[in-house]
Amino acid sequence: MTQFIRLAIRLLVRDWRSGELNVLIMALVIAAAGTAMTGLFSDRLNRTMVTQAAAFLAADMVVTSHALLPEQWLEKARALRLDSARSTEFSSVLVHGEGILLTGVKVVTDAYPLRGRMKTMLSPATDEQETSEIPLPGTAWVEQRVLTALDLAVGDAIEIGAKLLRITRILTYEPDRRGNLLGLTPRVTMNHEDLPAARVIQPGSHVHYYFLFAGDERDMREFKTWLQGRLVPGQRIMDVYEDRPELGTAFNRAEKYLGLGSVVVVMIAGVAIAMAARRYSRRHFDMTAILRCLGVRQNRVLGLYGCQLFVLGLSASVVGCFIGWLSQEILVWYLRNLLPEHLVKPGIFAYTLAILEGLVILLGFTVAPLLQQRRVSPLRVLRRDLVPAPLNRSLVYGAGFLTISGLVWWNTGDSRLVLYFLVAASGVILALGGLVYFLLQATRSFWPYLGLNSRFGIQQLSRNAASNLSQILAFSLTFTAMIVIFLVRTDLIRSWQAQLPENAPNHFALNIFPSEWQSMRTWLESEKIEVSAFYPVIRGRLIRINGDDAGRNAPAASQAESTLHRDLNLTYTAVLPADNRIKEGRWWTYGESGQVSVEQSLAESLGVNVGDTMTFSIGSREIVVTVGSIRSVQWDTMNPNFFIMFSPGTLDGLPSTYLTSFYLPEDKRFVLNHMVKKYPSVSVLEVGLIIKQIQTILGQVTVAVEFVLVFALFAGIVVLFAAVYSDIDERIFNSCILRTLGAGRRIIRRNQCVEFVSLGLIAGVLGAVSAEMLLWLLYERIFDLPVQINWKVGLVTPLAGALLIGLFGLWVTRRTVTQSPLILIREN
Amino acid sequence: MIDARNLSKTVVTAQGNLNILNSVNLSIRAGDTVAIVGASGSGKTTLLSLLAGLDQPSAGAVFLDGECLTVMNEDGRALVRSRYVGFVFQSFHLLPNLTALENVMLPLELLARTDAKAEASNLLSRVGLHDRLTHYPNQLSGGEQQRVAVARAFATMPRVLFADEPTGNLDSGTGEQIIELLFEINREKRTTLVLVTHDDALASRCERIVHLKAGSIVNPDQFNDSIY
Repeated sequence: MTQFIRLAIRLLVRDWRSGELNVLIMALVIAAAGTAMTGLFSDRLNRTMVTQAAAFLAADMVVTSHALLPEQWLEKARALRLDSARSTEFSSVLVHGEGILLTGVKVVTDAYPLRGRMKTMLSPATDEQETSEIPLPGTAWVEQRVLTALDLAVGDAIEIGAKLLRITRILTYEPDRRGNLLGLTPRVTMNHEDLPAARVIQPGSHVHYYFLFAGDERDMREFKTWLQGRLVPGQRIMDVYEDRPELGTAFNRAEKYLGLGSVVVVMIAGVAIAMAARRYSRRHFDMTAILRCLGVRQNRVLGLYGCQLFVLGLSASVVGCFIGWLSQEILVWYLRNLLPEHLVKPGIFAYTLAILEGLVILLGFTVAPLLQQRRVSPLRVLRRDLVPAPLNRSLVYGAGFLTISGLVWWNTGDSRLVLYFLVAASGVILALGGLVYFLLQATRSFWPYLGLNSRFGIQQLSRNAASNLSQILAFSLTFTAMIVIFLVRTDLIRSWQAQLPENAPNHFALNIFPSEWQSMRTWLESEKIEVSAFYPVIRGRLIRINGDDAGRNAPAASQAESTLHRDLNLTYTAVLPADNRIKEGRWWTYGESGQVSVEQSLAESLGVNVGDTMTFSIGSREIVVTVGSIRSVQWDTMNPNFFIMFSPGTLDGLPSTYLTSFYLPEDKRFVLNHMVKKYPSVSVLEVGLIIKQIQTILGQVTVAVEFVLVFALFAGIVVLFAAVYSDIDERIFNSCILRTLGAGRRIIRRNQCVEFVSLGLIAGVLGAVSAEMLLWLLYERIFDLPVQINWKVGLVTPLAGALLIGLFGLWVTRRTVTQSPLILIREN
Repeated sequence: MIDARNLSKTVVTAQGNLNILNSVNLSIRAGDTVAIVGASGSGKTTLLSLLAGLDQPSAGAVFLDGECLTVMNEDGRALVRSRYVGFVFQSFHLLPNLTALENVMLPLELLARTDAKAEASNLLSRVGLHDRLTHYPNQLSGGEQQRVAVARAFATMPRVLFADEPTGNLDSGTGEQIIELLFEINREKRTTLVLVTHDDALASRCERIVHLKAGSIVNPDQFNDSIY
């Protein structure tokens, strides 16, 4: 056995020394480098994004509760060596002189925050600084808004409940500041040790407890699983994906894109390997025949090649992995100003995965050409024209499909994406492949009418229709993948930019009295402030669904469960907000009262469908409404949005306040002071910081997305190389025969030009059509982006294909007119 | 050593069945040198491929050293070839990526011989190529390539050597040298030699000449009088 492996390696080394393996090695190394680079970079970026997102939670995981957690839970966390901290939040009215202000108070323990840092200023004149400290006992940090509204200064004292606290710093940033009402009111932070003396928490107080945990990823997972079974109503686990929907959407899309990007690189690289392996296999028919003639059994021959390919794949993957690591280090250095300051190192798993992926790609795309060696007859030593019967095409394409499907699933975990990939790829190969085969055959009827300058080129295309078909499919698959990755990237970035335009609302105005909202709108407009729609806000609880207790089927810790245990902000409107889309049912028409529209994820969690009835308790009244529609909501637009909206007329006569958001440029901040004076009851909340956080993350995601595109392009060039090379021997041989028969340089080059340009043109058309099909599926089903046909792609791709393949083909075959035909024939 | 009984080979063509060999009977004793001659298309190469177990007959049987090749599967025949058979081809069939030395080493390596390199080197010296060991086939002349092929064919000490037009691609002078070499080593190693040729000079050096015409032997059991 050892001897056999040694022989396989010796033969491999001899092949390598002779240059026979160059194309295959290049394809493999670049495939591995591409996947490694994408994989390692994605891994780092993902983990960095998760770390950053953890900073937004101030922990890796947070358990929210309306009561203290059982001591046993905290013991479990300690047993798993997790760090923990606690914050307690409640609202408190501060009084100073004549000023009264509703504030959100956060009480923190020493270890807070476990992730991220708070930022403070010592006075309004000093710079903002990050700090790992918390307010000392007896002191408080407050936002500038508190100081302004109550005419206070650093050093003054405020009273929280029964406790007097001295203001020592101005709070400018809290990592885990939430978008709820408490989070949006002016903020005060104080030390946990002062809480008992404050005596603010009494039975029945409205208090939120946040238990923060951080630690090793595996321990966190174990803890989360352990907790999930023990949560009671009113308790919820928050992590980066569940807690902040405005970040979650961007993450989800970015992760899907990065996954898709890796798959595209793998797919293109796979095509390159398949083409190179086909050539490698064909060039080894003679060797196989001789080995068979020398008495080597079929399986041993296969084992020999299998062993060689494994060694080759492993070496190429390791080399590729190294190149991938080096490239992403260079990229990280190049993008150092755009990327987060502390980018985590790639995990060891990412390296292993990159090498494993290299081997899987190799196996998936070479197994078919390898198996063809089994069919080589030893008789080939006497009759060289005996070519082994081609393999069943379903095996060739099936192995490729299986590999890519497996990798798509592995990289995205999205079985729908796998299904769409299979449908699109099978559609392209069956329908368009059949059409191309027919067209290539049909060109035979033109042969007699073609001149010498183009006839041989066209003949070459149609005579080897089956072989050219696979080449065309390889090119078109590559074009498809590249178009898809390019357009998805462009549209994703465009949609992100559209979500958060420069003038996205950065202030919310709450508690606007019904008598004031119209005059306030007119006043804001007169101040040239862009203002969103005004929505009435009515507080109420959901109590029944279809007459049954609404909580009966709500799973613990679900969105439904959390919704049922708190007052909801309800509204009514005649017009569907621009950032909402109806997913089921229809939006109401004028005068259609008694209807409700529910946000999609909440509807799923509650198990509510169009036509169901929901009963709300508002004040002393119970309102029964019918679900008229299910909506998707784009939460990250900073416009007021609601989980539950009623049709006009349904909530008439119930007490309400109004809510709106507006964009206030930096140079118009004075308007705020005027507003507070003109409308004293209105609470104004700044959300500029949240917008800044989202924009930072989106910026990083965009860089990653563009980076994946570069690699897809790189892999595409290898396909070009491998595919053109896969049939080059035969093309050079034919040209040599033409030359020996007296054909001039011009005739040969023109025929080669016609052949390659036609190949590129057809592949371009196919690629564009299949890309449009795939884009339609992806946009509609995966990315939730508006679908539109891109005519430019239809025009540019065939032309680019013709130019690219034409030029490259001519470059590769240039030796046919510069070297002696005899030398070339001997070499081949 | 070799016994062919009622050997027939038929192939299906667009025009119907084509009989390449018709009930050929042939016995070759150990140590014999046999030339199979005939016009192009008479079935010489087909007969050689059947005798060597490279192909399966449509009817009849081939026995090599008492073992019936026709009932064996391809792997069984491969095993017989590795034990008993060597080949020399018209187009040399050296592996282009291997040097002269590596080409000769290959069959020895397949038999897991630890002395492959030394043995191959000796054989190449024996055929006069001691200074061409590290040359690749495309760096060797046609005659030199065929010498390498001869060295490779004798490397495993086969009991039967099959040669298909061994001088077909060589000029007459070089061809003569190769024939000389082939018969010389054949005598040394006491190998049974079966060769297919158009070359009368080559055929005349064999003990026995088998004439094929349209797939049938026209001179069964005719021995070469010039030798006896």
